[in-house]
Amino acid sequence: MKKIICYLLVVMLVLPLVGCNKGEKSDFDPIAEFGSDELYVYNWGEYIGENTIDEFERRYNVTVHYKTFDSNEEMYTTLLGGDSYDIIVPSDYMVERLIKENMIQKLDISLITNIDNIADNLDSPNYDPDHSYSIPYFQGTVGIVYDTTKVDPQEVEEKGWDILFDSKYAGQVYMYDADRDNFMPAMKALGFSLNTNDPNEIQQCYDLLMKQRKEVNPGYVTDEVNDDMINGLKALAVVYSGAASYIISENEDMAYCEPYQGTNIWSDAMCIPSNAKNVKLAHAWINFNLEKEVAIDNSLYVGYTSGNKLALEELSNGEFKDISSYKIRTGYPLDEEYHDDESLKKTLGELWTHVKAGN
Amino acid sequence: MNKVKSFFSKSYVWLIMLFFYLPIFYVMLFSFNESKSLTRFTGFSLQWYKKMFETRTIREAIYYTIIIAVLATIISTIIGTLTAIGLSKSKKVLREVVLQVNDLPMMNPDIVTAIGFMLLFTSLSIEKGFGTILLAHIVFCIPYVILTVMPRLRQLDDNLAEAALDLGATPFQALTKVIIPQLKSSIVAGALIAFTMSFDDFVISFFTSGPAVNTVAIYVYSSIKRINPTINALSTIIVLIVTIVLVLMNVVPMIKNRKKEEGFEK
Repeated sequence: MKKIICYLLVVMLVLPLVGCNKGEKSDFDPIAEFGSDELYVYNWGEYIGENTIDEFERRYNVTVHYKTFDSNEEMYTTLLGGDSYDIIVPSDYMVERLIKENMIQKLDISLITNIDNIADNLDSPNYDPDHSYSIPYFQGTVGIVYDTTKVDPQEVEEKGWDILFDSKYAGQVYMYDADRDNFMPAMKALGFSLNTNDPNEIQQCYDLLMKQRKEVNPGYVTDEVNDDMINGLKALAVVYSGAASYIISENEDMAYCEPYQGTNIWSDAMCIPSNAKNVKLAHAWINFNLEKEVAIDNSLYVGYTSGNKLALEELSNGEFKDISSYKIRTGYPLDEEYHDDESLKKTLGELWTHVKAGN
Repeated sequence: MNKVKSFFSKSYVWLIMLFFYLPIFYVMLFSFNESKSLTRFTGFSLQWYKKMFETRTIREAIYYTIIIAVLATIISTIIGTLTAIGLSKSKKVLREVVLQVNDLPMMNPDIVTAIGFMLLFTSLSIEKGFGTILLAHIVFCIPYVILTVMPRLRQLDDNLAEAALDLGATPFQALTKVIIPQLKSSIVAGALIAFTMSFDDFVISFFTSGPAVNTVAIYVYSSIKRINPTINALSTIIVLIVTIVLVLMNVVPMIKNRKKEEGFEK
């Protein structure tokens, strides 16, 4: 027993040595330039290029503490709990809420010299029209991935969301298992806004989803949909465009459609929380991620559509040329962002539980 | 007839083993996958292991997970064992009350404990980091140690400790030379439970770790959305470590016993 404890202690002493080989450093003096040499970044899991952190550390001679989260709400809770990060990457509606609650601070645009690299379609997002709080990182849409060997592309384009509710495809449909993402196809199929809080319209969507459950019997899934579609288990699935890019790159028979009735367009943006301690270095991080090469590295690894104009242009003509879901449909008035609406989210959440339970 | 019976009872055992180990085997198999897929095996490769050891976030997470688990185990085992010994010598009312209170954190859902810790640290404006997560882990490990040590203590003969004192041992010597050696197996069991509880805890770690500390559980959980076989590689390593520790724990005492027996024979 004593021996085992001794071994464990030795391992504990050796491990930090293993964790500390960061490679050569530059002569840059971060304290003089930014007033700090540590940065606390809070990002989504698997949402950054493989070399981004190392490169940033090397260039500015700093240490990045990188932590990941799984949902906007999770991140929001830890912020409420008083944790102090320097960079967070919330989605559109969460940026809106954080601005409303004064939990993120105004950016010093003079420090973000690469601001012109933001993708054209994100020039003035509804949640933060003049980028005074947030700089876009990744973006995408929600659409339908379908198996071209089982479904005629023309039919998908013609029917749009309606195809998901067609009993012809009973047992062949995957819906996305999340309250708002599940209601969105129904709302758009019926021609409503995806931010509608009209009880009558919501009731119609609910009825449609219940009917779909009975007649089409869809599978309610989240991210396991990726592998299931790559293996061609079903013919149609509601997915995020980033996931669609991955599915299509692994299975050539799959194709992506952004329905003509409009869809949800989303973006995740870099923000600096109000209680951040290394504000200047945080600006440097944002500016760094707006650089063309860094944005390309990030987007290549993650596979999601970059929020960076230069990276977007280069990748959609290069690496992701044949992947339609990488390109973003712009200027389509029926496409909408989610707005922060807690009572709507709650209503849909309750109804969604009923749909899943089937009563 | 007997043959049929034994066939069924044997296959029943194998079936249960299959249910236990098939998921683990599946995870291990796909850690060697060539492509990113988690369900289609396309070829053998070690690239996910390479990626795992190259990613600093993962290395840091492994480091923090191990160091927190080991420290939490050592500290909670000491505190828990001493508490149990103290309780065995105290009045029945006090003992029953403390044991009931001790059950509470174990019955309590993790999420409630976690939010409680978070609110406590926040309201005291303690900055969350290594200290807070370690403290939280020690706290939720202690009840398990007390629970495993207590039954063995009840079986001990009180007179042994008194005899030691009569024969000139100091109270500390009586504790370390007489009481604790008799409790050794249950202390080890308690420590093992504490270690596994700390090692795989997600909820409490998530709410008490703060910006600087990352653990394997937090990393795995937040990567689920865009999962790739790196997670499988990580899991395989963990299974391997746990297996090695378990084998050592079982084999080392066996070898020791055999040597002892050989010594007697000579």
